[in-house]
Amino acid sequence: MTELLTTIISATFFFAVIRTTVPLLLAALGGLLAELSGALNVALEGMMLSAALTAVIVSASYPWWIGLLAGVLAGMALGAVMALFHLRFGADVVLVGFAINLMAAGGTVFILAQATGGDRGTSLALPSKSIPRLSLSWLGAIPGVGGTLEAALSGHSYLTWATVILVAGIWFMLYQTATGLRLRAVGEYAPAAAAAGISPDQMRALGLILSGALAALGGVQLAMFNYIGFTRDMTAGRGFIALGAVLLGARRPGGVAIAALLFGAFEALAIVLPALYTSIPGELIHSIPFVVTLVALVIYARRAQLLTRRRVAGVEGAT
Amino acid sequence: MDAPFALEMRDISKRYPGGTLANADVSLDVAAAGVHAIVGENGAGKSTLMKILYGIEQPDSGAILLDGTPVQISSPARAIALGIGMVFQHFSLVPSLSVAENVVLGAEPRRGLVLDLPAALRSVGELAERFGLPVDPAATVGTIPVGQQQRVEILKALYRNAQILILDEPTAVLTPQEVAELFTAIRGLVARGRTVLFIAHKLPEVLAISDAITVMRGGRVVGNLRTADATAEELTRLMVGRDVSLQVARTSHAVGPVVCAIEGVSANNSAQLPAVNDVSFVVRSGEILGIAAVEGNGQSELLEVLSGLRQPTAGRITLGAEDVTGWSVRHLRQAGVASIPEDRLARGLAAEATIAENMVAERIDRPPLVNRGILDWSAIRRAATELVNAYGVRTSSVQVPVDTLSGGNMQKVVIARELSSQPKLLLAAQPTRGIDIGATEFVWQSLIQARNRGAAIILTSADLTELLALADRIIVLSKGRLVAAFPDPANLTPEDLGTYMLGAREQPAAERAMAS
Repeated sequence: MTELLTTIISATFFFAVIRTTVPLLLAALGGLLAELSGALNVALEGMMLSAALTAVIVSASYPWWIGLLAGVLAGMALGAVMALFHLRFGADVVLVGFAINLMAAGGTVFILAQATGGDRGTSLALPSKSIPRLSLSWLGAIPGVGGTLEAALSGHSYLTWATVILVAGIWFMLYQTATGLRLRAVGEYAPAAAAAGISPDQMRALGLILSGALAALGGVQLAMFNYIGFTRDMTAGRGFIALGAVLLGARRPGGVAIAALLFGAFEALAIVLPALYTSIPGELIHSIPFVVTLVALVIYARRAQLLTRRRVAGVEGAT
Repeated sequence: MDAPFALEMRDISKRYPGGTLANADVSLDVAAAGVHAIVGENGAGKSTLMKILYGIEQPDSGAILLDGTPVQISSPARAIALGIGMVFQHFSLVPSLSVAENVVLGAEPRRGLVLDLPAALRSVGELAERFGLPVDPAATVGTIPVGQQQRVEILKALYRNAQILILDEPTAVLTPQEVAELFTAIRGLVARGRTVLFIAHKLPEVLAISDAITVMRGGRVVGNLRTADATAEELTRLMVGRDVSLQVARTSHAVGPVVCAIEGVSANNSAQLPAVNDVSFVVRSGEILGIAAVEGNGQSELLEVLSGLRQPTAGRITLGAEDVTGWSVRHLRQAGVASIPEDRLARGLAAEATIAENMVAERIDRPPLVNRGILDWSAIRRAATELVNAYGVRTSSVQVPVDTLSGGNMQKVVIARELSSQPKLLLAAQPTRGIDIGATEFVWQSLIQARNRGAAIILTSADLTELLALADRIIVLSKGRLVAAFPDPANLTPEDLGTYMLGAREQPAAERAMAS
């Protein structure tokens, strides 16, 4: 037990939590925008996966940032495809989302094999690049806590820090700009927005395309920082956990960030635990993040029920 | 011709793809700074005409002139730009946003990139004050009463500088007090030079608020009147095309023994909050007991309890001599309870099933419609055809899906089925909601006939004139409690009921108990 505690309460573990959280958080922010516009994006998983492979292949021949941009474009393209089929052709958004997930799962393996000349599992054959680390070694000069701070915060990718800015930026966009107001209005009650001269389809397309871009950033971080290179099915359900974080975070950017951090912490735990408890099967430990997601969602649903009840009671009391 | 009209519509025709001629050569002259009412039954073409004016629909032919200038109204955005605003019957509001956010949505004040919320709050507050539409700009729309939500809708139009305001059945959702406030606000708008188009089918309100009235029937204009010269009888005749009597003769009739007694019944709503609180009353054979209540004050839950759809949390219900508390819908039906539910399409009918299937749904578990477990379709069709003829349902066949019928005809199917079982107790929840005057007349007569045959009827209605016309006794619910009971409604007015419905007054317990 003491071993576990010393492992968890350490700068290294904190570093690991940030590392596992960032891809989840980016995808969850994407899920948030789509959800608020009223189009549930279950394709986060497929978008992450497609963007990860795109970034790996492109960065093998171009600078890292072009790889990153290519990944983002791939995610946005998938978002646009969802918008096209859902909004223009009237297909169910969840079905379109699952179609994209299935396509991405199979399609990435196929393209991987084409790109590597036959390897269906990993991109080891490709000299793909990584996102540079931001060194904050000057933190170490701070007396006392300097060493800990440096170990926890120095050496994350540029994208990690960009993610922090994105959380604030998305909050600003949603609550301080007209576009955000319109997006939320469309998601909550589209006829009201339509009556005010706003096109619900346009706002949802925007939501889905931005959602694709953010999920893609999550995939890029995964394949160009957390791991270097692409492995088949490397997202491993993160897109769905991200969707859970959207709901658990009460559909607000700050809440989503906290929920993603929680899931990230359990994922990090699942990485360190097998070394400490060799008697417990690794598969069981690796299922922890999913079990936590499930439990968290059940708690969330219960809480939402109670809140609705209280709100209804409040309204009835007011009239 | 002197000063041009604020709005002229010239020979507007519109045929829907299905072939329905919704508007045929409709012309309309609306004077500036007045209230112009458009009345007609459902399907008379009022809504289509207003949709054309608001740019939602395009006319096949005809012209629209604003202040004498011809205009093309290609979309709602264009209508707004031309100074036309519309308040729909179903509000277009986002519940979780504030009043100010709802008002400015789509035309937000900005400071650079940033949404200028303080400016929005300020201008909406000023607008509300200037036009006498008091509402807190910072309040969350979902938490304010319906009457105030309607003000927010009107403010939305005014914020976009509407000169012509279309109000589509604005009083349908309001209490009598809220209607009075709305009328004050409308007069204020007119005094400030705005023109109001008032779409309605409740004639007393039309006569109270309008300056001029256009009557439509079957897609055509059948009359243009000055309100000062119009009477309700004349308007009704024009709307329906024949004489209609919505006067119910209060014939003396025998009131029999108690059919159903409700003692101390409480029940929760779907959110598990108390909705009905310790209510007691009886209803006798041969009488209609009216329940007056503002929507959401427990009347729906109470009727659901009585029909077996909802379990009471306390109290006792007896039917005849039997304690039926907690009985299932099916057992209650077998014991003689019939129900005309509030929501025809969700609970009264299986929308996609045929008329015949709906007509017999209540009795296909027994002969003669079923034979050793096999449905006897020819018997079913015969039984359904009989009912269709007896209740005058307008349809070509009993084999068509019931949702192809008009609202009034759907309601006739429900009533035919429910009354054909000769119920002892009939629960009628909002039986004329959303149906036209002709069908309303039929529903009223059916209820009166059932009562005269000896049925006990419990009637709820959002339309107080309906309660006052039909009910032999009226009880009032407010926040789930029985707050007043009137053994003889003959001299009651809607305003009397209104004060009790809003919970502003309450009868002494003894008086209530005696009358209920």
